[in-house]
Amino acid sequence: MNFKAVAGIVASAFIATTAVADDAFPERPINLIAPFNAGGGTDLLLRGFAPHFAEAIGGEAFVSNMAGGSGTVAASALQGQRPDGYQLGYFSITVSTIQPQIKNVPYGVDSWTPICSVAASPTLLFTNADTPYMTAQDVVDAANANPGELVYGSSGPGAMTHLTTVAAFAGLGILDKLKHLPFQGSGPAVKELTAGTIQFFGDTEILMSRGDFRPLMVFNNERLETYPDVPTATEVGIEPPLNELYLWGGLFAPAGLEPEVTAKLEAACEAAVNSEGFQEFAANSGTVINFRGAEEFEAFFRQQYEANGALIEAAGL
Amino acid sequence: MPMNRILNERVFVLLGLFLVGAGLYASTFQQTFTAGVAAQSPVFFPRIILTLWMGLALIALVQTMQRTEANAPVASWSRLGLLIVASVIYTNVIGREGFFIPSVIFAAISLPIFGVRNPLLVALYAIAVPGALVLFFNHMLSMPLPVSRFTHLF
Amino acid sequence: MLSALPDAIAILLTFEGLLVLVMGTVLGIVLGAMPGIGSTVAVAMVLPFTLTMGQAPAILLLLAVYAGSVYGGSIAAILINTPGTPQSAATCLDGYPMAQRGEAGLALGWATVASVIGGLVSAIVLIFAAPQLAAFALEFGPIETFALILLGMTCIVSVSTGSVIKGLLAGMIGIFLSTVGGDPIIGEMRFTFDNWQLFAGFNLLAVVIGVFALSEVLMRASAKLSQTSELIDFKGVKLPSLAMWKGRYKNLGKSVLIGNLIGVLPGTGAATAAFISYAEGRRSSPNGDKYGTGEPDGIVSSEAANNAVTGGALVPTMALGIPGDAITAVMLATLTLHGITPGPKLVEDNPTLIAAIFAGFFIINLLLLPLGILLSRVAAPILRVREAYMMTAIVLLCAVGVYFVRGNPFDLLVMGAAGVVGFILRRQGFPMAPLVIGMVLGPTLEITLRQGLILTDGNFFAFFTGHPIALVLGVTAVIALLFPFIRHQLARRQTV
Repeated sequence: MNFKAVAGIVASAFIATTAVADDAFPERPINLIAPFNAGGGTDLLLRGFAPHFAEAIGGEAFVSNMAGGSGTVAASALQGQRPDGYQLGYFSITVSTIQPQIKNVPYGVDSWTPICSVAASPTLLFTNADTPYMTAQDVVDAANANPGELVYGSSGPGAMTHLTTVAAFAGLGILDKLKHLPFQGSGPAVKELTAGTIQFFGDTEILMSRGDFRPLMVFNNERLETYPDVPTATEVGIEPPLNELYLWGGLFAPAGLEPEVTAKLEAACEAAVNSEGFQEFAANSGTVINFRGAEEFEAFFRQQYEANGALIEAAGL
Repeated sequence: MPMNRILNERVFVLLGLFLVGAGLYASTFQQTFTAGVAAQSPVFFPRIILTLWMGLALIALVQTMQRTEANAPVASWSRLGLLIVASVIYTNVIGREGFFIPSVIFAAISLPIFGVRNPLLVALYAIAVPGALVLFFNHMLSMPLPVSRFTHLF
Repeated sequence: MLSALPDAIAILLTFEGLLVLVMGTVLGIVLGAMPGIGSTVAVAMVLPFTLTMGQAPAILLLLAVYAGSVYGGSIAAILINTPGTPQSAATCLDGYPMAQRGEAGLALGWATVASVIGGLVSAIVLIFAAPQLAAFALEFGPIETFALILLGMTCIVSVSTGSVIKGLLAGMIGIFLSTVGGDPIIGEMRFTFDNWQLFAGFNLLAVVIGVFALSEVLMRASAKLSQTSELIDFKGVKLPSLAMWKGRYKNLGKSVLIGNLIGVLPGTGAATAAFISYAEGRRSSPNGDKYGTGEPDGIVSSEAANNAVTGGALVPTMALGIPGDAITAVMLATLTLHGITPGPKLVEDNPTLIAAIFAGFFIINLLLLPLGILLSRVAAPILRVREAYMMTAIVLLCAVGVYFVRGNPFDLLVMGAAGVVGFILRRQGFPMAPLVIGMVLGPTLEITLRQGLILTDGNFFAFFTGHPIALVLGVTAVIALLFPFIRHQLARRQTV
């Protein structure tokens, strides 16, 4: 192949990709970025979502992973990209609202064009089934009787698991009477909960059901169908904004995405979330679907960003 | 390299290591860390490690100055230097310029360094091997390597 | 669960079942044998395919690719001194010197047999003793784990070929590198100098591939030009005869045991097992003095242990629903996707599936032997290409492998820097294995130390008074550290 031919191909490819015609979107594959490793919960959710999303938008979509720094590396990298709609990140509550308030990352509340939310699961505070703590009041009494004795775990400082326990114990007014023991990920923490090194842990229902654990409260606006006897945080006396906590996630594009493209992506996201295939996938994997359109999601995202500030302060992060 | 007990490669490298360790140790006092006892302080563990680092580097430095050992000779400093520079630039630019183009250029530099003089073979290899990798990962597996600024195809 | 075994074997012996096992193992070996490409990338490559498969085939494919790539990693480690994963780093120490002596085929033979036996025994242990071992894992809290990691650190001394001081220094550099990024207890950033890329720390694989594989390329560029790759006399795996095994059974058994037990403890992993086993072999094997010079026992120590880890890591996964390492975490997530909740009742609720996984794991390890021999025959001619082609390909493959670990181009930059620094350090006689040990064990050492201090309210001595396991491990660590010096003194006294 001579130089002229190569140059011709390069040039035509160049023109094809830069000429942005909104009608024609998408003209090339859309990259859905999972900010965690391949094979993790977020990654698999996105891989279950991608084919339905691709079908809905009438193009190709693939999942890529950019792991590290509790998701901040992917978000930091995406924030600097051109807002063309071909790069979307699936970010959770922690990546999008917690981490930017506790780390000096190059993104914040104004860095994004929110597209849609996909899932949201309330978190629960739970203890091992063989501990004597049946209710939140038992925990308060025990903590007051022996300050510094009880230990709660987390999957790492600033993680959702940490914030759940902080919301619970700060809400009950006993945060400084318990010790916090962070682990590297939920696995080791759940092991120590089973072994009795820690007494409390907070996570979503799907993770709690992995062990023989007893839920003490749920951070939802109402009781869960699956655990009708477990009180909500509000019922045990925890005041807003600490009383509701959802592990939610959704698609984000860099700020400044054209409204036409946003609308297309939003519509495709809605169709994908409602597709039979994805609904079945969600039922199998225990994902709680929670769709919000672009406008609603943006308002929710900004409200969460504010509200979580209080939680961060309580956690001393 | 001159065979001098004090001014040789080994001494320079160990001195450098000691200074890097000392610099990092000093930096733990400049950054504003939350004060806390032992387990709560973020610099508690690194300071232990850096203290051992500096101590060991000093011992190694003294040991080295007492001996006259020569490092393995380098056959050609220019070939080696060129490959080091090429490797560092190559690993730096993949993120911005994509995998394919930097790989072609790197292969075209690396092959002659290792003694392939036939330009046809160099060109063939430099295009075919990175090309096959891009074709396999980007187009067959949908697991793309970084692409260039010109096209999403490679 | 044993009663479900016949049903499970029926699943495996279908065309699809066998196809998944054979193809997965072949793919794993091929990918693992490529310098720079390790288990992480191999698993990431097949993951999308598992989404459309049934429960059992999906898990078996992941397992086959993983076990294959761990074995494949030893091929790259022995033949070209470029391990693609930290767990093969200990295999280099004796494998490569043996290959340089012209015994590449035999070195690979030792590795093959040790891998297969390590894997098979761990599969049997998994089938019969998973609940008991899971109970053992629960005994290991943060303080016990700290003592174990401390013991693991002492193997830096054993793997320091040449200068012990330089080995220890390399170890400290490795531990330090692992502290860069977010602090594990309160989350503050350390040594990042406000660069957000460093918030995630240095990636272990980027550093390992840099200091081993890339620096190897630079080492060769600094030597005289060679028209062929150095190891031209490799014609395929040559299995050691039974007679050659004489006096080595004990070392093999010990290594398998170490691999199994360490695999059971979540968050420790194959590299830890390989290094601890290597250090123990060096101390107790009758051939211990020759470790590091191309001694078969060294290969056996490392390979038997790192393959036995896989079975061990499945124990907490299956018995408690807690992932034992990165690959079992992927498997758990895949199970969840298929509507199965991992947890203490996993085995009870899905006896056939779990039995199929266990039996499949056994078969995969059996397959390693014929497939390893076959593939090494096919691959032998590739090793005869000119050094130029081989070295250039290694750099390109390392870039591919490192990029796919986290999908972050910054890691490539880290690999490049690690390659150059590794090359400079290797020229001064610094061993690189201790650096890897430091980086692998560093994070666990730090977090368990600080967790322990939180639990004991800052009293370090309480680590050992209230924790008998920690006391035993701690004392063993001190003895292991002092042993070379004691032996040295004794030897001197005898000669005088």
